[in-house]
Amino acid sequence: MTRHFTLAGAIVSLACLAMPAVAEEHTIGAIFPLSGTNAVYGDVFMSGADLAVEHINADGVLSGPLSIAYEDSQALPQPAVVAMTKLVNVTGVPYTLSAFTGVSKAISTLATRNSVVGVNGGGVGPDLAELGDYFWNVIPLANLEMRAVVPFLVEERGLKSFALVYVDDPLGDAMHEELETILPEVGGELVDSFSVPTTAQQFSGVAAQVRASGADVVYVASYGNQQLQIVKQLRDNGVDAQLVAYSGYAVPDALALPESEGMIITGQGVDFDSEDAVTKRFVEDYTAKFDRAPTAYNVNYYNAVLVYGALAAAIEAEGGEVTGEALLEARRATESFDLVGGTVSFQDNGTLLFPIQVKEIRDGAAHALTSVTFD
Amino acid sequence: MLAIQLAITGLQTGALYALTAVGFSLIFGSTRIFHFAHGATFVIAAYFFYGVFGAGLGLLPSIAAAGLGAVAFGVLLDRLVYAPIQRHEGSFFTVFVASFGVGIVVQNLIGMVFGRGFVTVNTPLSRSVEMIPGVYVSPLAWIAILCTAIFLGALQFFLRRTHTGMALRALADNPELVRTFGLNPRMIAATAFAVGSVLVVPAAIITSATTGLNPAIGHHVMLISLAATIVGGIGSVSGTMLAGLLLGLAESLALLVVDSQWTEAVTFAILFAFIIIRPAGLLGRATAH
Repeated sequence: MTRHFTLAGAIVSLACLAMPAVAEEHTIGAIFPLSGTNAVYGDVFMSGADLAVEHINADGVLSGPLSIAYEDSQALPQPAVVAMTKLVNVTGVPYTLSAFTGVSKAISTLATRNSVVGVNGGGVGPDLAELGDYFWNVIPLANLEMRAVVPFLVEERGLKSFALVYVDDPLGDAMHEELETILPEVGGELVDSFSVPTTAQQFSGVAAQVRASGADVVYVASYGNQQLQIVKQLRDNGVDAQLVAYSGYAVPDALALPESEGMIITGQGVDFDSEDAVTKRFVEDYTAKFDRAPTAYNVNYYNAVLVYGALAAAIEAEGGEVTGEALLEARRATESFDLVGGTVSFQDNGTLLFPIQVKEIRDGAAHALTSVTFD
Repeated sequence: MLAIQLAITGLQTGALYALTAVGFSLIFGSTRIFHFAHGATFVIAAYFFYGVFGAGLGLLPSIAAAGLGAVAFGVLLDRLVYAPIQRHEGSFFTVFVASFGVGIVVQNLIGMVFGRGFVTVNTPLSRSVEMIPGVYVSPLAWIAILCTAIFLGALQFFLRRTHTGMALRALADNPELVRTFGLNPRMIAATAFAVGSVLVVPAAIITSATTGLNPAIGHHVMLISLAATIVGGIGSVSGTMLAGLLLGLAESLALLVVDSQWTEAVTFAILFAFIIIRPAGLLGRATAH
C-alpha cells in the first residue's frame, strides 16, 4: 500500500514538473476621471497606461497577461475612495494608478492600510510626497515647477508682482503656500490671491479684481475645464498681464485655446528626441497609435505601468508573489529604472526626480525656454 | 470703478441667469413638472450652435439649429417621457427621476459626440473694450442684456395678450377649469415646453462664447434656475426674472465684501434667506395648506 502511494506520488510529481508553469494574470488598478468636467484627463492618462500594457504584454515581461481595471473618480475624493475600496477588496490589485491631488490624498490612507501601492502621475500638490511608503509619484511636484518658473520670471523677465488665481482644494492651497514662500526669496511679491470654488465657472468678477491688482504676472493654479475658463475670461475681461500655469495646463484643449497664446507653463523635461530605446519606442508607437505627439502626462502613466512591469518581473524571477509589500521591497532594492526620459531613480520619499522645463505656448504648442535641474 | 465694473459684470451674468431660469419657471409653473433636464436643453442648444457655427455654416443657421434642437428636445421629452409617466399616475418624484436620468444621458451623448473637454466659440465680440478708465465691457454683454429685454418682454406680451399665453397661465392655476373650457392641457403643456426651451437659446449661445462649454454645464444651469425660481416665487415668471438678475448681481458684487471663493455661496445664502424670511419668494403668492 505504502509502495503504491510512493509510486503515485512520484508520478504526480513528475507530471507537475513536466507541465508548463501556470501563467499568472496581472491586474493593476487605475482611478481616473472618466466622467464629469475633468474627464478629458482620463483619456490622456489612459492612452499612456494602455500603451505600456501593450508593450509589456508584447514583450512577455511577466508570466501572464497584464491588464488595468479602470475606475471612475470624477476627479473627486469621495468617488475615488469608493473606487479604491472596490479595487482593494473586490478586484484585489496590488498596485493602483491615481491622479489629481485631492484624489491621491484621499486614496492614500486606504493604500497604506491595505499595503497596496498607489502611484500618482498627474497630481502635483507638493504634499503628495509625504503620503507614506505605499504612495509614489512618477511626476515632479508643483513646488519644483514653481521653483523653476518664479525665479525665471522675476530675474530673467523682470516681472516682480504676482497675482494668484487658485482652486479651493488641496492642490490650490498647497500652491498658494508655495508661492507665498518662494516670491520673497527671489525679490518678487504676491500682490493678491483669489481662491475659486472647484465648481465655479464665472470668473469675470475675479478678472476685474485681478486687473485692479495691477500684477505683472497672473499664476493660474486650477485644472480641467476650469483653468481654461479662467484663462479665457481673464483675457476677455482685459487682463493683459503675463499668464502662467503649471503642468496641468499641458493638455491639447488648453494649448489650442487662442487665449493661451503667449502663456508660460512648466512641466517635467522629457527629451522626446532621445535615442534611448524606451523613449524611442514610446514616441514612435504613441504617435502611430493616437496620431498626435505625446505629452508628459502620457509619459507619466506609461512610466508608472513600466515600473510595475519591472518590479513584478523581478519578484517573479525570485519566485515571489506580487503583493504591495513585495513591490515596495523591490522598488527599494532597485537602484534605477529605464523609463521614457532616461534612467531615473526614486527619492526616499517615493517621488521620481525629473528636470523642469519652462515653456511658452506659441501657435498651439509648448516650446521650451529653459530647463532647470534639481538635486 | 471696481464697483461699477462688478455691477456691469453682474448685470450680464444676471441677464443670462434670468433667461435660463424663466424658462424653467414657466414650465414648472404651468405643468408642475420638475423639468430637471432643462439644463440638458441648455447644453443641446449650446452644442448645436457650436457644432453648426464651427462647421462654417454661418450665424443664422447656427441660431436656427440651436433653437430647433432645444424646442424639439423639450417638446419630445414632454411627449415621450413625461406624458406616459403622468398617464400611468406617475408621482412627482417619478417624473423628477426620469428627467434627471435624461439629463445624464444627454450629458454623456454630448460628450461622446463633441468630446468631454472645454469648447468655446471664438469671436471678437467676447473681448472687452475700455468704456471709461478701469471699466471694461464686451459687446456680448450688451447683446446679453438686450436679448434678455427682448425675450422677456416678448414673453410677457405672449402670456398676457395672447389666448395661448392666457391658457398657459390658466393651466398653472386650474387644469380642470382649462378642460371645462374645451382646451387640451397636453397641448398647452407642449407649448410651455416649447416656449421654455426657446428661452434658454440666447443664454446658451452667449455662454458658448463667454464662459465656454462642457457637457456637464447643465448642472450649474439647473442649480441657478432652481434657486431663481424659488427666490422669485414658484410660478411667478416676473419674480423669477427679477431673481435671476438679483442672483447675478449679488454673485458679482459680493466680491466687494467677501473672498472670491464665497461668491457661489452667496446664491445659496440668498436662497436660504428667502426660504426662511419670505418663503413665497419675491413675487410669489403666499399659500395656506
